[in-house]
Amino acid sequence: MKTKFSGILTLLLVLIVQLAFAQEKTISGTVADDTGLPLPGVNIIIKGTSTGTQSDFDGNYTIDAAVGQTLVYSYVGFDTQEIAVGASNKIDVTMQAGSVLDEVVVTALGISREKQSLGYSTQQVAGEDLATVKTNNFTNGLSGKVAGLQIRRNNNFGGSTNVVIRGITSLTGDNQALFVVDGVPISNRNTNDASQKNSSGGNYYDYGNAAADINPDDIESVNVLKGAAASALYGSRAASGVIIITTKKGKKSKGMGVTINSNAQVGFIDKSTFAEYQDGYGAGYGGQAFTSEDIDGDGIDDVVSNYLDDASYGPAFDGRLIYQWDSFDPASPNYLKRTPWVNSPNGAITFFETPVTLTNSISLSNGFENGSYRMSYTKLDQSGLLPNSQIDRHNFIFSGTFDLSDKLTASGFANYIKTSAIGRNSTGYNDNVVGNMKQWWQTNVDIKEQWNIYNNTKRNIGWNPGSSAPGTTPIYWDNPYWTRYENYQNDGRSRFLGNFELNYKLADWVNVTGRVSTDTYNEQQEERRAVGSVPTSFGVAPPGVARPNAGSGYLRRDLTVTETNYDLMFNFDADISESINVAGILGTNIRRNEFNSIANSTAGGLVVPGLYSIQNSRDDIPKSQEVAQKVGVDGVYASASLGFGNVVYIDGTIRRDHFSTLPVDDSSFYYPSVSTSFVFSKLINVNAISFGKLRVNYAEVGNGPEFDKLFNTFDINIDTGTSVPSTANNPNLKPERTKSYEAGLEMRFINNRVGFDFSYYKTNSLDQIVQVPISEATGQSRKLLNAGEIENKGFEISLNATPVKTDNFSWMLNGNFTQNKSEVIALPEGVEVFQLASYQGGVKINAVPGQPYGVIYGADYVYNDNGDRVVGANGRYLKTGPNEKIGDTNPDWLMGITNTINYKSWSFSFLIDVQQGGSVFSLDQYYGQATGLYPESAYINDLGNPVRNTIENGGGFINPGVVNTGTDENPVYVPNTTRVDASEFGQFGYAAYPQSEFVYDASYVKLRQASLSYTLPSKFLDNTFMTGLQFTVTGSNLWIIDKKTPYADPESGLSSGNSQGYITGSLPTTQDYGFNIKAQF
Amino acid sequence: MKKLILILTAAVFAVSCSDNLEDLNQNIKDPTAVSGESLFASAQKQLADQITTPNVNFNNTRLFVQHWQETTYPDESNYDQSTRPIPDNHWREMYRDVLRDLKEASINIAAADNDITNPLKPNKLAIIEVMNVYAWSNLVETYGNVPYSEALDIDNLLPKYDDAMTIYKDLLVRLTAAINSMDTSKGSFSGDEEKIYSGDVASWKKFANTLKLRMGIILADADGAAGKAAVESAFASGVFTSNADDAGYAYTAPPNGNPLNNNLVLSNRNDYVAGKTIIDLMNTLEDPRRGSFFTDVNGEYIGGVIGDQTVYSDYSHVTPSILGGDYPGWFLQYAETEFLLAEAAARGYSVGGDAESHYIAGITASFDFWGADGLAGYLANPAVAYNSGAWRESIGTQAWLANYNRTFASWLSVRRLDFPVLVKPIDAESGYPVRYPYPVSEINLNPTNYEEAAGAIGGDATETRLFWDKFDNTWGF
Repeated sequence: MKTKFSGILTLLLVLIVQLAFAQEKTISGTVADDTGLPLPGVNIIIKGTSTGTQSDFDGNYTIDAAVGQTLVYSYVGFDTQEIAVGASNKIDVTMQAGSVLDEVVVTALGISREKQSLGYSTQQVAGEDLATVKTNNFTNGLSGKVAGLQIRRNNNFGGSTNVVIRGITSLTGDNQALFVVDGVPISNRNTNDASQKNSSGGNYYDYGNAAADINPDDIESVNVLKGAAASALYGSRAASGVIIITTKKGKKSKGMGVTINSNAQVGFIDKSTFAEYQDGYGAGYGGQAFTSEDIDGDGIDDVVSNYLDDASYGPAFDGRLIYQWDSFDPASPNYLKRTPWVNSPNGAITFFETPVTLTNSISLSNGFENGSYRMSYTKLDQSGLLPNSQIDRHNFIFSGTFDLSDKLTASGFANYIKTSAIGRNSTGYNDNVVGNMKQWWQTNVDIKEQWNIYNNTKRNIGWNPGSSAPGTTPIYWDNPYWTRYENYQNDGRSRFLGNFELNYKLADWVNVTGRVSTDTYNEQQEERRAVGSVPTSFGVAPPGVARPNAGSGYLRRDLTVTETNYDLMFNFDADISESINVAGILGTNIRRNEFNSIANSTAGGLVVPGLYSIQNSRDDIPKSQEVAQKVGVDGVYASASLGFGNVVYIDGTIRRDHFSTLPVDDSSFYYPSVSTSFVFSKLINVNAISFGKLRVNYAEVGNGPEFDKLFNTFDINIDTGTSVPSTANNPNLKPERTKSYEAGLEMRFINNRVGFDFSYYKTNSLDQIVQVPISEATGQSRKLLNAGEIENKGFEISLNATPVKTDNFSWMLNGNFTQNKSEVIALPEGVEVFQLASYQGGVKINAVPGQPYGVIYGADYVYNDNGDRVVGANGRYLKTGPNEKIGDTNPDWLMGITNTINYKSWSFSFLIDVQQGGSVFSLDQYYGQATGLYPESAYINDLGNPVRNTIENGGGFINPGVVNTGTDENPVYVPNTTRVDASEFGQFGYAAYPQSEFVYDASYVKLRQASLSYTLPSKFLDNTFMTGLQFTVTGSNLWIIDKKTPYADPESGLSSGNSQGYITGSLPTTQDYGFNIKAQF
Repeated sequence: MKKLILILTAAVFAVSCSDNLEDLNQNIKDPTAVSGESLFASAQKQLADQITTPNVNFNNTRLFVQHWQETTYPDESNYDQSTRPIPDNHWREMYRDVLRDLKEASINIAAADNDITNPLKPNKLAIIEVMNVYAWSNLVETYGNVPYSEALDIDNLLPKYDDAMTIYKDLLVRLTAAINSMDTSKGSFSGDEEKIYSGDVASWKKFANTLKLRMGIILADADGAAGKAAVESAFASGVFTSNADDAGYAYTAPPNGNPLNNNLVLSNRNDYVAGKTIIDLMNTLEDPRRGSFFTDVNGEYIGGVIGDQTVYSDYSHVTPSILGGDYPGWFLQYAETEFLLAEAAARGYSVGGDAESHYIAGITASFDFWGADGLAGYLANPAVAYNSGAWRESIGTQAWLANYNRTFASWLSVRRLDFPVLVKPIDAESGYPVRYPYPVSEINLNPTNYEEAAGAIGGDATETRLFWDKFDNTWGF
């Protein structure tokens, strides 16, 4: 199949080459502003084509064009100029500051368009804005910068980032935006185990999302295509919006340009995102009782700390000498010694290390008579917060363009990325060291002593031993250093992405482009548990078979992901009359995706300790889990744009996609869009209005089924056993369809000093492909159906203003505001509640008709008609059943404001990022308050005594609320006066309160990033070999100005994906400070 | 030039109109068709797992009958059935992982060959039917009304619930038909496929009759005539007569090891100790089986207070002898059979011998099974001697002891006979659980039928007594 397509394409390309002949000439010149200063980075394109270049540092450019063609010069903040190519080979241009309107932006399929002609909303972010403040995943840098884009980074080391444009449109599909790099759609697949995302069981890792491989230093610009109309030419892939990345290119200039960039960044824990412990009580569940056990062998029971208990609801610290966990092993300096019963001087927070990230890159670019190229190499070294965590990334990129004749241009890029990581943090509930410290910890444990004893013995001597016998495996939690240094995982990814493109100009008004592009990577993931660890479910298991507990083991997963695209596209552009322009595209896209993976593990532990290989399995190796998926989509598309006197533009697009994943007789679907843009400022002549544009559009896009959702296969599970799978497929599936309306208004005033861009949209996503949970009395758990509808509507505003602008000083302000309201309109018939995820702690994330997508369900307080909480006769709150709505994960609105101040060679910029509303459930608080870790369970009560005193000693507390002294039918409510005894475990946290108590407001205000840079004025470099030198000091996540979620960052979560709003044991947030030097030669 | 454009345009459409694109959508790693025997093998294992496991998420009946007690996290000892959705999980295992696969197994085997080329087919189908009845009867005994006639059909997403007693009687008809269709002169499944009796049909016939005996006894208080008929016909056809008949699923090693091994040994956790209720009674009776059921603490047997947090090291633990990976998962046992026969005799049914003789045979079988000495002395204990005036108490108490580690069997016995007297857990979340509440998933996904069923059985509470559970206990909670 593939060979057939590529064969045809090759033929076509050869045809083009043979037709090529020369008649172009090279134009050069300088671009300057109206004060005569050279302007670097001015976009110069040949009108009606995608051929173009940029001016270099000194404002110089060269471009090949034919006589009669028109060159379009555009630059943000200046009026676009059009100059026809005449006899002269030199064209110097003076740009007039003024309208920003004629900006050229990259749209779907990589087509450059004048922004004013677009009937839909896009927003551009310059690569510099992403590269200045480093993050290991460039998508994090988009946070707060684009209206309509929600970025949610969890704090996992090398973890995935959730990128959602204008809300979730698919109930269960992949709602992550599509990333396209120079026309290459790239995989942003998150290869995490499904169980990782819903935190069930333990020992899962967040392997990150693949878009993170893109090196921010190589990005020229990022364009976010927000609405369906903007992305409609991508058809069935466009439903979640598209992020178009344009990489830096070589520029036609004299001499080679070399840029060296060096960045170092150091992180410090934001203490408000980690546990703060009470300091009065240590290990135990049972209040003041110590364990009695004969430790020294004299036949008399000794006082021993409650080492078996993974909680701090034990005796008050009184300094008495007792035996503790470190008294049991001969290797311990405190062997058979008693130590004082005191709060640990080195709390769990000292476990974390200082993360350091070093990024070094070098790039070369050069231009010559017939082309240009750029190559760069970047190395990233990053160490994490947790001991023994490290990510290395090498990124090589080469891009070039070459004019084979004056009609034929070849271009391409190749990017090789090698990433290796070690020691990602375990996410979820079990075996998560951070969860351990936030939920189940003993405040008397000195983390430094845990390190010393691990480091001295290399054995798993933990604070939580199963007995006082030396060498006993811990009962619930390993020594945290053992976890980090022995039970670590590692992974590596080798990735190639690239394209090869030929463009041939058939005539002045038509050119054809052929392109082959691919993104392919191999990834290997290895997970291990050393002999002597606390057993946990580990390894691979067939569907329906529980992973057995194992105290040691090794797991390996190999996967390959490949996407190949073949594109052929005709571009038309013609002026029909003086004032009417027609542009159009006719093209085809053939896409093939392959995913293969195999996972295997040991079973029953390892034979030889410390050897991590599959053949080192104690029991027979379990059944491997092997997956092979192929998906193909063949698309044809056409678009036409009519422009009337640069005032009114009308665009129409249509795409037909033929899916491999749909039933044979009904496998092709059409995706249309229509949009208009009306630049009314050209008709009215009001001085104050520099620019005004109204736009309206309608589009339908889609989302095809995943691989193999039509026909049923069986699971092979035990020995000779097979079973009917738990999900029933459906041979009659249709694609999902999103219908979208959008209207927008863009205006600028006072010589473009102030402007705004407003969009309102409404999208309805129908025919959702849903694995509908069904009554399991049917014999299966889910059935695939086309059903259900989600509506998203909202508005976005971008504002920019330049309040001050003088020769030496300017202050620019960019803001954006996003409000998206999602509503589940309908679920499949008969389903009242659609469960998206069910988490440890008994909370569910659900989709419920009439509610936003992703509401949190669990038990709530019982309220009477007055809204008072009802308390039971025992003084404890009554709880509802487990199925009440207790939170909504969707924020009310998002806002980002960037201030940039330039003074001479100095530039200072900072971004405030705000989320208002949204809820998050904290398993840390659910458990941690119960286990007595937090001050909320050890305060001074209303009587002025420690709440953990017995009632006789003035302890306990009274739950505010009312008690029903009447009957159920005729209730009589009186204020609660029953004091509950809190001297033992059971009155706080999950043990006493409904889940709703632990649902928190996820609002935040953050100083997301700030940077101060100094560019050495060029006069200092005149006599050196350097052409530019810049120093930058940066900071990111500097300050969480406000948040409501205790002891955690409300943004932190398990992973990217559809169910957000759940925190368990997430890493603390770090404030990262960086220093950057950029030198150009 | 125009011609060229036409050609290229045609080419654009040509490349995008491939004919067999859909061939890509084939799963080449998982089977599209499998044998009925392999489906049966999975279903039997899943059923064995579900009636054997002590996993707190799946089966807490050992806690409900107070044989065991939890240590640090005593939620389920206090009848918390919602923090971990046990009713949902049991329902799922039985319908999806057992009954659905049994149904498919039956269909495939029935369709596979004709009876002449496959003489084992009728026996295989009969054994599948017996497993079906075992699983269905468990569902009815656990929830009450359940989807039955409309269940297991992917085209009916809202199956209605059937009346529990009606289902139960239909199951007896099916069971009897299966017994009658078994041909003991022929074989059935291979040992790879069937891991209780390696396909031995004579053993399966006894199993089926013993199951029928149990179902007849369960019907006794609700419909005495039907119960009597079932019991007597089962006995006449031949029930278990020795411990050698016991139906034990042959576990091997992880992941096919006994779930007790996974949860108590491989996990390295200390989640369970002996329950105070059983330890106190055994101490009073000086029951020689104590050492077979539990470990001692410095020579003493100590049980954890029901519902309280208990320190693992202070109490008796589960005997290691039943925690091996290859320890069987018990479906039915001979000792249980004798107590059922004793009860039948006490009710005046004709089951060859009087109640006392079956009662003594039951105790004897249990001692043999556990390898305990001192039977004669034990039987001589007046507190052990059979009391025909209080047969519910005598049989209930000894069956409860003999049914140690028999999860649903012991819970059935306690609910039906209301003996021995159990104690209220110190932090009980409900009255004594005499059924599982319906799964939350049914409330959400099959609401109309759920409401109707909940009303029909007298309310969806864990305290709602089922149709066969006619006597209120005197436990005071």
